[in-house]
Amino acid sequence: MRRNKDVPGRRVGALTLWAALALCLLCGCGADMDGTPRRAVSLIVKSTDSEFFLSVFAGARAAATEYNLDLTISGPKTEEDYETQNQMIAEAVEAGAEAIVFSAIDYERNAAAVDAAAQSGVHIVSIDSGVGSSQVSTYIGTDNYAAGRMAAQAALERVEGPLYVGVINYDEGTANGQERERGAAEALAESGRAEITAIVNTLVEAGHARADAASLLRTHPEINVLMAFNEPTSVGAAQAVHALGRSHAVFFVGFDSNVVTIDGLQDGCVDALIVQNPYAMGYLGVESAYKLLAGQGGGLAAVVDTSTRIVDRENLFTMDSQKALFAFDRDQS
Amino acid sequence: MKRSAGGPRTTTILVAMVAGVVSMILCCCILLFLNRYRSAMVQSARTTSAQAVSQVSSTVGNYLRDMEQAMQLVEQSMSESPDSRDRLLSTFLTFRPDVVAVTSYSPEGALLDCWSLGREPKEHILQNLSFDLHRARASAAPYMASPHVVTLFESYYPWVVTMTKPLPEQGGGAAWVSLDLSFSSISSYISNVSIGQRGYCFLMDRSGSIVYHPQQQLLYAGLKTEDTPALAGLADGAYADDTVIYCLTSVPDSDWRVVGVSYVDELVNRNVREMIRLSLWLAALVLGAALLSSWLLSLLLSRPLRGLAAAMERFEADADHFTYRPAGGTREVQELSSSFGHMVLRIQQLMSTVRQEEVNLRKTELKALQAQINPHFLYNTLDSIAWMCEQGRSADAVKMIHALARLFRISISQGHELIPIAKEIEHAENYLEIQKYRYKNQFTYTFDVDPGCLGYCCNKITLQPILENAIMHGLDLLVDEGRIHVRVTQEGDDILFCVEDNGVGMSAEQVAAILAQDAQDRTGIGIKNVNDRLQIYFGRQYGLRIVSELDVGTRVEIRMPKIEEAGDYEAK
Repeated sequence: MRRNKDVPGRRVGALTLWAALALCLLCGCGADMDGTPRRAVSLIVKSTDSEFFLSVFAGARAAATEYNLDLTISGPKTEEDYETQNQMIAEAVEAGAEAIVFSAIDYERNAAAVDAAAQSGVHIVSIDSGVGSSQVSTYIGTDNYAAGRMAAQAALERVEGPLYVGVINYDEGTANGQERERGAAEALAESGRAEITAIVNTLVEAGHARADAASLLRTHPEINVLMAFNEPTSVGAAQAVHALGRSHAVFFVGFDSNVVTIDGLQDGCVDALIVQNPYAMGYLGVESAYKLLAGQGGGLAAVVDTSTRIVDRENLFTMDSQKALFAFDRDQS
Repeated sequence: MKRSAGGPRTTTILVAMVAGVVSMILCCCILLFLNRYRSAMVQSARTTSAQAVSQVSSTVGNYLRDMEQAMQLVEQSMSESPDSRDRLLSTFLTFRPDVVAVTSYSPEGALLDCWSLGREPKEHILQNLSFDLHRARASAAPYMASPHVVTLFESYYPWVVTMTKPLPEQGGGAAWVSLDLSFSSISSYISNVSIGQRGYCFLMDRSGSIVYHPQQQLLYAGLKTEDTPALAGLADGAYADDTVIYCLTSVPDSDWRVVGVSYVDELVNRNVREMIRLSLWLAALVLGAALLSSWLLSLLLSRPLRGLAAAMERFEADADHFTYRPAGGTREVQELSSSFGHMVLRIQQLMSTVRQEEVNLRKTELKALQAQINPHFLYNTLDSIAWMCEQGRSADAVKMIHALARLFRISISQGHELIPIAKEIEHAENYLEIQKYRYKNQFTYTFDVDPGCLGYCCNKITLQPILENAIMHGLDLLVDEGRIHVRVTQEGDDILFCVEDNGVGMSAEQVAAILAQDAQDRTGIGIKNVNDRLQIYFGRQYGLRIVSELDVGTRVEIRMPKIEEAGDYEAK
């Protein structure tokens, strides 16, 4: 009697148990196939054709692949067109981007668009050049003030006697250029033997920068140190120095790597380059966006400093410099 | 009668037992399963990485072999005359767009010639990374340099791998020739290799310095590190720790090694976590199902059992009027229930048999007693009659003989136990009449009978033993004149007989003795017999009640129900 009572219960239990295990195995096989929809991240930068931003894109794409994100990249034609940038932010929000990785043309005039995007629940990561919005989760880029000081220091270390410095800067609204200029100006002032002869704000385009730099050098022949604070202006300034035959007379410090400035370093019209790490900006920018989307935003630092290095004729072809200056994944033809 | 059971209930025990056993088995199974699952996943992740890495390794190996073949062609062309050499090399370069440059060097290390498709070397070469004089002099055999940038051209800095080979001595000719083979095909191939979602491959040499890494820029910025010294110490194979799986393979015929890095978390842990979640759900489901089924099962068992127990309690409380309805349920319970049903019937049969036997016993006893109804009484009465006849009081004698005859007729009553009350009264009157002669009018008697009672029946010879007792024990010893008063009244559904005398009375002990013992010392029907018969016939609530006080008198009350038809009770 007693045995009869227990057996059906156990049998039912055992049966369900095996059924459950079988189900487990079945689902185990199926579990790998379920794909979560990819989350949309938009990268909006200042320009889509400078080598600097191509490196940013490479880093961003690497991170997007790694974290399985749907990355769209956009940027205006000129590095002054903040209105198009604002429009792109709005379009990205409309298209369903959940995070925007943004390099601002104008610190002030991009702020409202960023705020508006943040209002609709989009996470904002700022890279390269900051924007005046409190909604930015993190800034990833060069410590621009320190980079400016580094540029001034490069000139001070390599040029003796009094320094007459010409500065080729770009849009006055762009945060990173202004920070760099401030860093450089302060380092120069501290040295006591340098003065800034002239500052030219040009358009971020090599042709304009070249013309403005050439006229600056002609107007102020006493200038023996020239500085430019981003890639296109550096290219223009290097070409101007070369064209005017002042490679020896003028110590030129530029920013970022471009074949023109690399060539210039070898033939003498460029004397030092402050090289940033655009790949890291792109990569870390998208990675931070992923962390924000995945709810791990609490661990993000407010500011992440990507490294900068000085490249001059001596260390141009060291292995580290090669890796920093020349991208693997595209032929610079 | 309700008893509170001490032990726990079947439901509780069964549910607890099933829950315990099932959850234990579930725990063991899940743990075992997850453990196996995890190790299988780790194994599969290792296999995946190993496959990816060996593919990269063979691709890189092919690249290097291809480079050696190209070098052979270049070397052959070097032995030709300058014109045909230029022609050969230019054809070669046309067909091999991945060859960036072919350069030849003098024994002093000066650049002699440079062949490149559509490019001329710069006039002033700051530093030529494609040729290293020290290394070339140090090794007699061909050697390969790590990837580097070509620095020969203006505005063109592709990454290449250079192979340098010493040339046989030729008059005024080149001592070395270098071949720069584009690295971009390999680098983009390696960059595109992914193991899982985040896993990747990189190239390092035997000493642990990185040859190519897809995230070169992050390494250089210090935002990412690879523990290459430790990896350099490992043999080829797959190594899994808690977070990362490293997979190393050497590239054949070179000192390069391919390292695959994949993440346990995404390849294994995510699946395992998913599996744990699923297993827990299923475990909860199974446990729930087991609990439910065991609960239902125990309900199926214990409810009929409880019903059975309640039925037994009711049976215990009132066995006579208990009717048993068999309980449903499992076969075992049904068997138990029908056994109980049989038992109830059997017990009830036995009980009625016992009662019947008791009635029969009393009847037989009564009949036996009637058969010998007090021979003393008969003897004394006949003696009195004889004495009357001697004295010539024939009228009295006749009267007495009539009374005696009626007494006997009623006593016999054709064997019926229940007779109409009128008859019983007549019986009592006849008896008293006879006794009054015998006791020479020592007492008087009166009857007070409610005429409504006369139609009902009563047990025969109910009053006579009581009257006998009243005369013999109450009045016989009395000096004064005795009085007997018989009253018959209705009280609700009962008939109440009441016999009162003014005799000497009895003590409480005597009363108890009269009701307790049979009349053994003498013949005739005792008071106990009357009481027994009443109670057997009508139940415990009926019978005799004796109230007696010494020197005052005795009152006996007889209570019985109103019986209209003798048949009902006679049958019992």
